Parts: sequence; structure tokens; C-alpha cells
Amino acid sequence: MTKALREDTPVPADVPALKLTNISKSFGPVTAVDNVSLEIPRNQVIGLIGENGAGKSTLLKILTGLHEPDSGVMEVAGSPVRFRRPQDAAAAGFGVVHQEQSLLTNLSVAENIAMNALSSKDNATKGGWYRWGQLNREAETILAKVGAKIDPRSIVGDISFVDRQMVEIARALRVDELTNATPIVILDEPTSVLERDETAILEREIKLLKNIGSVVFVPHRLDEVLRICDRIIVMRHGKVVADRPTGDVTEDELFQLMIGHAARASKSHAAERDGAVEPLMQVSGLTRKGEYKNVDLTVRPGHCVAIVGTLGSGRESLVRAMFGAEPFDSGSLSYRGKQLGSWSAAQATRSGIAYVPAERKTEGMVGGMTAAENLVLARTGKSGLLVNKRKQKKLAQEWFGKLDTRPNNPSLHLSRFSGGNQQKVVMAKWLQSETLQLMILDHPLRGLDPGAAETVNDQIRAARDGGTAVILLADTLEEALDMGDDILVMRDGEVTARFDLSVDTPTSLDLLEKMV
Amino acid sequence: MTEKSVTDKTESDLSLNSTPSQASAAAPRRRPRAIELWTTIGPFAVFAVLFALVAVLRPAFLGGGGLAILATQATAILLIGLGQSMVLHVGSIDLSNAAIALFGAILLAKSIGTMGTGAIVLVIVVCSLIGALNGFLIAFFQVPSFALTLGTLGLLSAASLIVSNATTVYASGGSMLSSLFTQGIVGLAMAFWIAVILAIVLWAMIRYTVLGQSMTAVGLNETGALFSGIRTRLLKIVAFTLSGLLSSLAGIMIIAQAGSASSTGLGSDLLLPGITAAIVGGTAITGGITNPINVIFGALTVTLIPIGAAALGIPSEAQSLVYGLVIIIAVALTISRKRVGVVK
Repeated sequence: MTKALREDTPVPADVPALKLTNISKSFGPVTAVDNVSLEIPRNQVIGLIGENGAGKSTLLKILTGLHEPDSGVMEVAGSPVRFRRPQDAAAAGFGVVHQEQSLLTNLSVAENIAMNALSSKDNATKGGWYRWGQLNREAETILAKVGAKIDPRSIVGDISFVDRQMVEIARALRVDELTNATPIVILDEPTSVLERDETAILEREIKLLKNIGSVVFVPHRLDEVLRICDRIIVMRHGKVVADRPTGDVTEDELFQLMIGHAARASKSHAAERDGAVEPLMQVSGLTRKGEYKNVDLTVRPGHCVAIVGTLGSGRESLVRAMFGAEPFDSGSLSYRGKQLGSWSAAQATRSGIAYVPAERKTEGMVGGMTAAENLVLARTGKSGLLVNKRKQKKLAQEWFGKLDTRPNNPSLHLSRFSGGNQQKVVMAKWLQSETLQLMILDHPLRGLDPGAAETVNDQIRAARDGGTAVILLADTLEEALDMGDDILVMRDGEVTARFDLSVDTPTSLDLLEKMV
Repeated sequence: MTEKSVTDKTESDLSLNSTPSQASAAAPRRRPRAIELWTTIGPFAVFAVLFALVAVLRPAFLGGGGLAILATQATAILLIGLGQSMVLHVGSIDLSNAAIALFGAILLAKSIGTMGTGAIVLVIVVCSLIGALNGFLIAFFQVPSFALTLGTLGLLSAASLIVSNATTVYASGGSMLSSLFTQGIVGLAMAFWIAVILAIVLWAMIRYTVLGQSMTAVGLNETGALFSGIRTRLLKIVAFTLSGLLSSLAGIMIIAQAGSASSTGLGSDLLLPGITAAIVGGTAITGGITNPINVIFGALTVTLIPIGAAALGIPSEAQSLVYGLVIIIAVALTISRKRVGVVK
């Protein structure tokens, strides 16, 4: 497709696709975006990084018309614009892929692509009628453009996560078909829901997108931004603190720019901690049909067992059974030397087991309660009959300080915090328990920026070194290798390998081999 | 605690290391936003405005003991509404509670002559058990509460007809109950004050007890509550048992007020006013947001509309119209909108 044919007045090549001058946005006393000026050149992939709360999300919302800036000028292809509604942004060529997938899983790929703020301008659905043939053809064209080989007739719920993400991108790109503007595609952590091998595919596709337009990419992990971006913009405390070509920076430098101090690596081996101890929880021959088969697993106090595997490896279901939240068909669980008969999440919690689920918002917390209330939510058997509001407040202040949680206001609803800060509260809910013995962590760092991830990781490490047993389903293999004392590899519900890291030194590749 | 470099402001460092008092000073002060204020006083304000309107247009309403009539009429609706708000609080709904109340009333009328005070205890126990059974079936068999209590509603209506022989049952020896309505404090019936005290007790329960906070968690996010070790099924049973208990009290009030009960008489149409009272009282139908004290004003508003309309001389055919319109406005003003926004 030739862009130039459709453009009425060709814009000189050196005019940036997007230019922001002195953009500011405040919410009450909080300045989220502080006098930001930046340029997004055409046909480049720009990485936008910063800690949770650095102002990235607000900036993206300004770009997509969800927020209006308090002051400053936005120019698209050289002409000033004002977005009052998301439709305005779409009309100017902005397409967005949100952090959480927003596809309707029971509709077809083509229908999802057609569903767009600008659908009234679309021939395939003009006048409210679905012209199926045209709809599918259009979807096919746009999918081909992003290099995806997906049947537009297939139901979104049936396709893989990476394909769904491609559909999201195709949908975002559709603004290009419907307007005369060069598309600016905004990708907000598109890889956060993907497993590692899927991420590689998506990264390749994102690099190709710049032939069509400009891309603003908010990475899930720092290494991604170095691989696929041409320039990297770093935000901290609402300001742009660096804008560099990718070749000029290292991951460590970026980390330092983002959070203001250097990353600390620390791997302490179990051998350096206390020696052989009695197993805390033992799983033998545990089986649940269609999920996992014949799993043996032992966790000791002060040790971490990392379980790795792709989607469908059954590891999520396995740890839920250990927490009593899901049933199993056969096999046995024993805890502190005792065989467990009936087992429920309520019993597990009261016997000192913590569970941090991967789906934080829907399973890990109660967003409609305040952060302080969430902190005392876990029924570890220590709470009395009455709620002690004063004690609750003191506890919240203590943990907010310890984990550097922002904003420092525990009486706000937890849903109002950013993802990283929510996770800090979820972790604190369990860590504050005096009876804590075992933590089951399902992707505890999912969706966290490096600063928050480090804080949470430090807490996990401290708890482990203090004698708490940890079962970890890590986001990345590196994380598993870094934190684990033992690594269990699962594939299709079966344990395919075990590594004792005090004697073995497997690489990521060794693990990957057993996973797929 | 995370190490901080020099680039971080010393101010934030201070707040991290600070004593509790400093930390709260450093936190952004929470301004009582209009919407939060309205959530607290809205139901009262709606009632006050309506009441003032009636009193100004027809001063005789006040002189004729209008407020006392209002409190008397509102008592059963308030008790039913409180029970409903407990069930709504854990994210369910109880369509059978008014039927439980009527069944309790008929049972009481039948047995009070022979059993005396024992009949009251019997009614309370039976109705609470029916509520508990509702809760048990919903919690353990994963039946949606709407469907299950719709079924219970049918069963109880049939039971009421059978027990009462489809006629009006008069309570012999119910005089000890009638004092609940003949005696009063500051002109309002004793029965009403009992319901008000119960509302305050439930309010304190939700706000200050682990039980109440657990119910809130279940109503807001059941999975999140379950994964925090909260016994979610038990709490649903508790909520439905409370609903049954409060329904039994409503049944007792029906007998105390009318001295008789029948499937079509006083108290036979409490279900929808009860739900309306809870919602006009700011209870969220999605669960987790309930203020029992505001349910008092919800019940008073629901009761005031027909009484006020009659007092104003609105023709009877127009009264339903007025009722419908005012309820729509009251609900629009007071219904709890999801306060749970996601701000990143």
C-alpha cells in the first residue's frame, strides 16, 4: 500500500511524526507528567521506560485522548492537535495495544479487528450492517501487513496468546486504513502476557512495524527495549530524564536512569544458609487429570523450589492444589510431617501457607478495599473478633515504608495504586504474618517495573533467608535460576527434569530444552 | 528498605524512615470529595427533602402524627431491607426473605396462643434455619442465589397457604407483642427503635469486626477473599442466616402490628420494598458496599412516598405513578456506583 498517494499534502521527511512541547498533567497535588518535551521520528521504534508511577501511563493516556494535558502543545506531523476523546486520537492515526488484552474472546478475529472507534468510517460495517466477505478480506489484508498468518474467521478464544497479541496490533494499525494519517502505534507492555518463546516472535513483528509508521513501545523487561528500539526515552518522577539512541546505552545504565541507583545482583546458595532441614511440604504422586501427572516435590524451610514450564505445563494448577484452592485426583500432600486429609485455602492460610496468584487484580487482592484493609485480609488464624483500626494503620505505615509503596497513603482503595505498588501490598499481606512458613508465588513479578520487581524480590529473598520456604513460578528462566535452590521443569503436566543448583549449573537453554 | 541515591529527594527519604505521625503528614491529605460525602449522607438527604416537601405542602401531616405513622409502617420494610442488604453485601440476593417473614408471621399467629413466648423463639429459629439452608445450598451447590431463592419463595408461599388454610390466622394472646407498637419513645413505636438499633449493630459489625470485613471482601472479590484464606462459603451462609433472622423479626412485627396474618394481608408485599429500601440506602447490588444505617433512611423513603402522596391528596390512580417516578429519582440519586475505579 502506498501511503503517499493518499496524503493530500506531503510532509517533509524531517518533520517528526509526533512532537510534544512542555506537556504537563497534574491530578490534584500530584504532577504525573511534568513539562515533558519529546519527539517521535517517523518510521522508528521508540522505547518508553520508567518505573511504575514515573508518568508513562499518564503520558500514553494523553497521547490516546483519555486525558487532556493541563498545558503544552502536541503536534502530529507538524500540525498542532488537541485530543478531547479517544476517537480524536484514533482519527489522528494513533492506535493502541493496551497492557491487558482487550479482545472479545467469543468473537472471530475479523470481528475483533472491525471493532474500532472509527467503525462508522468503515465500509465493511457501514450503516450497521456486517458485510462478512468484505470484513474477512479486510482483516486478512491487515493481518498480512503485520506479518501474521491467522485465519480471520477463527474465534479469538481458540488462538494462541501471541496470535491474539498480533490481532491487537492489527486492530491498532487499522486506524491507518480508515484515516489518511500515518499510524503511530502505541504498545503498552505487549509482551507481559506472553511466555518467552512467544515474545521473540512478537519482537520480530514489532521491528517490522516501523516500515508502516512509528511505534511507541513500553517494554515489559529492559532487555526487550535494547533489542527492538531505535531510541529510548527514560522517564522518572514525571520528567524525561534521558533520550538516547539504543546503541549508546547499556541495560545497567538504563536501570540506573530509571530508578536512580544501580542494580544489585545477589545469588546466595542454600549451602551458605542452614544445612539439611526437615521437609516442610511433600507432594508425592500428585495427579489431576488433564493438568498434571504423578508429581513429586519437596520443599524445605529456607529453600526455594522454582518450577518452570510453558503455558499448559500444569504448574499453576499444581501449586493451587498445594494451597488447597483446587482439588486433585490422586496422590498425597503432607505438611510439617502430617498427611493432609481435607485441604482448603482457608486451612492452608491458617497453617502458615501464603499464595500470591498470577492474576493479581482478580485473585490476589480486593481492589475495592483500602490498602490497609488488604494488608490484614489474610486469615492466618491470628486475628481476633474485632478489627483494630489503629493497629491496622500502624502496620500499614510500617510496611508502606519498608516496601517504599507509593502513594504513601494506605487509606486509598488498592485499585487506585499502580500494578507494582499493588503487588507490594499483596506481598506485605503475607509477609507481615508471624506464622508464615511457606510462600507459593505464581509470577510474583508479572507486570512489575524493575524498581518494584527488585523491592519484591528482595523481600522474597529476605523471607527465604529467614527460614520461609518458597515455591516460585517465575516469569523468566533467569529469575528461576537466580532465586531457586532446586528447579523443577514441567512439560504437559509431567516433571521432565530436576536440577539441584548446589551441584548442577544448568543454563537457560538446558531448561528450555526440557520445557518444549 | 531500598537504598536511595542522592537524586532522590531527601523529603521522601524522611517520610520512609519517619514515625507514623510524620508519615501521615507526608501522605497527600485526603480531601472529603463530594461523591464520598454524598455516599454517606445521600440517603438521609433524599428522605429529609421528601419529608420536608410533604410537611410544607401539607402541615397537617406533621400535626396528625405523620412521622409516627411513617415509623410504624417502615418497621417491617426496614427489617426486610436490612436482611437484604446483608445478602447483597456478600454479592448475592435473597428473593425469599419477604416470604420467610410472612411464613414466620403465620406460624407465630398459629402457635402463640398455645406456646406463648416459646412461639417467638420457635419462629426466630425456624426462619433463621430456612435462611441458613438457602445459604448452604447456594454455597455448596453453586446455585445462583437469584434462582435458588426464587425457588424458596415459591415453596414458602405454598407452605404459608397450607399452614394458614388460605385464610386469615388471628393471633390469640398476642397482646404482649402489640405493646411494641402501642408504646413508643419520642413518639415513635418501640418496634421501629428496635429495628434502628439492629441497623446500628449491623453497621458496627460490618465496620469493626473481622466477620464484617470478611463479608465485605467476599462481596467485592470472592476469589481474592478465598485466596486470602477467608471462608467464603461460611460467610454466605452467615449472610443468609442473618437475612432469615431479620425476616423472622419482620414477621413478629407483622403480628404485633396487625394481630393477624394471611397470605394476602399485611406484609405480603414486602419483597420489592425491601430491595428498594436497601438500594435507596446506598447498598451496591454488586456487593461489598453497604451502610445499614442508610438503609433506615432507604426504608423511610420507600414508606413515605405512598403515605405522603395520600396525604397530599394525590388521586389514587396517580399514586403508583408518583411512587414509580420518585423511586426512580431516589435510586438514581443514592444507588452506589462502583467506587472502585482503576487509576494508574
